[in-house]
Amino acid sequence: MQYALTCMVFLPVAFAVPVLFIRDDALVRWVALVATAAELLLGTMLFFTFAQAGHSGKWLLVEDHAWIAQLGIRYSLGMDGISLLLVVLSALLFVMSVIVSWRSVKERVPLFHFMLLLMETGVLGVFLSTDLFLFYLFWEVMLIPMFFIIGIWGHGRRVYSAVKFFIYTVTGSLLMLLGIIGLYIVHGRQTGIYTFALDALAATNVEPSTGLWLFAAFLVGFAVKVPVFPLHAWLPDAHTDAPTAGSVILAGIMLKTGTYGLLRIGFPLLPYAALSFLPVIFMVGLVGVFYASWVAFAQSDMKRLVAYSSISHLALVVIGIAAWNELSLAGSVLQMVNHGITTGALFIMVGMLDERAHTREMAAFGGLWAKAPAMSAFFLLFILSSLGLPGLNNFAGEFLIFVGLFREHPVIAAAAFAGVVWTLAYLLRLAQKVLFGPVTDTGALAGEFPDLTAREYAVVVPLAVLVIAIGLYPSMLLRPLDAPIQGLIVIVKVASAGTGGLAP
Amino acid sequence: MSIQELYALLPLEILGIGSMVMLLAGAFFPSVGKKALNFSGAAITLSAGLVATFYSPAVPEAGHMIGFSGFSLFFTALSCFAAFITLLISAGYSERRPLGEEEYPSLVLFAAFGMAFLSSSTSLLGIFVGLESMTLALYILIASNKADPLSGEAGVKYLVVGAVSTAFFAFGLSLVYFDTGTLSVTAAMQAMTHTGKMSPVGLVGWAMLLVGIGFKVSLAPFHLWAPDVYEGGPAPVIAFLSTGSKAAVFAAFLRLTLASSSGWGSLVPVLWTVAVLTMAYGNIAALTQDNVKRLLAYSSIAQMGYVLVALIAAPGSGGTSAVFYLLAFVAMDLAAFGVIASFSGKDGDIGGIDGLRGLGYVYPFRSAALALAFFSLAGLPPTAGFIAKFGVFYAAVKSGYVYLAVIGIATAIISVYYYLKVVVYLYMRPADSSKVVPLAMTAIPRPDPAGHFALAVLMAAIIALGILPGGMLDLIAGFMARPLI
Repeated sequence: MQYALTCMVFLPVAFAVPVLFIRDDALVRWVALVATAAELLLGTMLFFTFAQAGHSGKWLLVEDHAWIAQLGIRYSLGMDGISLLLVVLSALLFVMSVIVSWRSVKERVPLFHFMLLLMETGVLGVFLSTDLFLFYLFWEVMLIPMFFIIGIWGHGRRVYSAVKFFIYTVTGSLLMLLGIIGLYIVHGRQTGIYTFALDALAATNVEPSTGLWLFAAFLVGFAVKVPVFPLHAWLPDAHTDAPTAGSVILAGIMLKTGTYGLLRIGFPLLPYAALSFLPVIFMVGLVGVFYASWVAFAQSDMKRLVAYSSISHLALVVIGIAAWNELSLAGSVLQMVNHGITTGALFIMVGMLDERAHTREMAAFGGLWAKAPAMSAFFLLFILSSLGLPGLNNFAGEFLIFVGLFREHPVIAAAAFAGVVWTLAYLLRLAQKVLFGPVTDTGALAGEFPDLTAREYAVVVPLAVLVIAIGLYPSMLLRPLDAPIQGLIVIVKVASAGTGGLAP
Repeated sequence: MSIQELYALLPLEILGIGSMVMLLAGAFFPSVGKKALNFSGAAITLSAGLVATFYSPAVPEAGHMIGFSGFSLFFTALSCFAAFITLLISAGYSERRPLGEEEYPSLVLFAAFGMAFLSSSTSLLGIFVGLESMTLALYILIASNKADPLSGEAGVKYLVVGAVSTAFFAFGLSLVYFDTGTLSVTAAMQAMTHTGKMSPVGLVGWAMLLVGIGFKVSLAPFHLWAPDVYEGGPAPVIAFLSTGSKAAVFAAFLRLTLASSSGWGSLVPVLWTVAVLTMAYGNIAALTQDNVKRLLAYSSIAQMGYVLVALIAAPGSGGTSAVFYLLAFVAMDLAAFGVIASFSGKDGDIGGIDGLRGLGYVYPFRSAALALAFFSLAGLPPTAGFIAKFGVFYAAVKSGYVYLAVIGIATAIISVYYYLKVVVYLYMRPADSSKVVPLAMTAIPRPDPAGHFALAVLMAAIIALGILPGGMLDLIAGFMARPLI
């Protein structure tokens, strides 16, 4: 168990390098599947070891080694309930990504899976680092493979979208780097110990005026990734032009690194500054919920619609984090997982339609239920999950966010709720246009349209099971969150006690 | 000169004598091929570098001219490394493009000698001698492709600019000598700056020195020669010019800076402005370049701006960052030019960025090396370039130059675009299938083992310095903490 976290993080990259040199495409796919499945197995084992035991300590697993002594940088990984859930989610979605690419990625197969596995290492590293420098390193490492995946295997204006994605996120992360350096130096001057350890940095007593700048730097870095309105412009393009696996990982996992960063780093490290920024965060969150829903309603391309729905869903998660109490935080983390499952599944469904019909225009579809009932049933399930139908997973998360939010900020809660109603509009429109109605002779469904294959069942069934299971029994995921969320709340309360506290 | 001093000078002797031997070898054994000549030169630089890395001189200084501190030996080894890689790259390149016969490796050795001399010198006179022996060899090397008018043009441009900058440098040195009455770097710099304020003569002297240094390492506004020289000169020579000579000049610059005391601070406003201009101009001008070598010229201008940022912070903690940045820069720029040299065929160096179209899938190893070098130049982890940039911004913020760090970050963001552009051409713009035979494919030479070996070494260095920089940082911080003598 001592090196369990290192194994988790570096297992994919250990497979990635040999994959690059395998000439046989089929073998490459199998190796990648084995690698990601092994990762999922490891994750699930950790989940069942720790999730139910009710650990009271902050960390379930930690690892800490000297790394760059000159700068006080340590290689330290730590897993608590929050990172546990996100790690399992990532491991799951990477397996799905390998499977959905089985037929759709035909060119440069070894390079594709190399990038995918490299990205998995980056993503898991982000969720497990407890040293800010290490975190930043993984943060950037996960970008580069995504840039290649969009740029090489994408559709449409893939190069434009890939470069746009990269420039946006690099801008955010370089500003964050400045914030990291600033906080590191402030801490070093104060204590004489130069370190990037999150726990130590959280105890820094930052002067308010400096703190504001530092938090702003972190906020921009994370907000670009989430993405929070108005820094979202890269997302629709990146999603639309990315291959299905790229969209699944982008929406399912990468966006969560932004909200995870706010939760794990932004708020705990600079609580007082975060407090001053709350009006801004709530405002952009609310605007995001409304604006993205509105724009999603206007889309005719299904993939773009799902992309905009991500912005709106994630805006609610950000609002939940900003409310910063037990319920809303638990809801936000749960919602990160739910969004990963549901939106990942929606992108997979759109990808399947695109593979068969070679179009993603809603107008070309209609009457899918008659042609492919199984596929339609799953599609509807995921749409209902996304719009928050009670009994399905999103409902549990959104409900917790709203309850927590209402306690502290009733007006904002009411406004956000009004925004969520808009979600119904565009998602029901999607269901109605694609699934129901008559099959048109000129549309994409005019000819042969096969239903789900065995491989596709292997992807959608587990996701559907999770959608229902989490919806019916969310405490399965909420239990491991108790201890870490308490810990986060205490850190912020203690740190901001002298300054009036975070909650008004 | 005692026997101990002679022993201590061993790396320089190997380089200097090696250079002469190479020259004579060509005369006595005319049948020896270019490849063998280049390899012998590489072996000589390698042995000089190994000696500099592992021996321990018994005296701290020889003839009040050359110092043997850790700093000096580090830069001696770095110059040897740059020359070693340059000669390995040249082995294949010189079979396709006429680079001269035995005089080519001989001159590379001589330039490396000059670089080592320049960065080890503890006397103002020694700095001048080192600078001149390095530059003289480079004048000839840049023009060494006699069949190519562009190469000649580049050589003349560098000669004219170099002569002017040398004049400034020499005049600056003489003013410093006039002001202080000593040629020892430490004594002169102390005498000039210990009162906390420089005399007018001293300031004019420093200004002249800065102009000279600015030309040599292409800081804006003294950078104008760089794009033309980079475009015209043979790729391996430019690799050497861009890395070895700039690192050596910066080493001397660092030595002058760190030998000074508080009065040096009156230069900071000027250096601050030059650093901002250099980073901004280099990176912005590179955005519109369609020629890879010109793009790398502007990129290396900008990169020197980051080293200058660390140098400004050097009296605080920036010295280590500056040295590490130079080391990383040597590795990544050599790799970039190494690939360019390896991709350049008989008809000339690869020019337009269009020539790189889709090469990522035809020549995966070299393209990966180029992409890695560019990611590293852009400062993305896990490469040496990231640790280097991190160190620079850290040193700047720590010494209180927050705005400088912010401007540096902003220009680094701009630079990502043009570094990515090259990667996009390599991997995301497939060769135009409408042409029957893609032009680039036919002109790209087959791989040569020596060049590939050099690239593999550089890639390993870039990644190792990016993931495990601890040992190297300790080493550098160790010798930076002692007097540089």
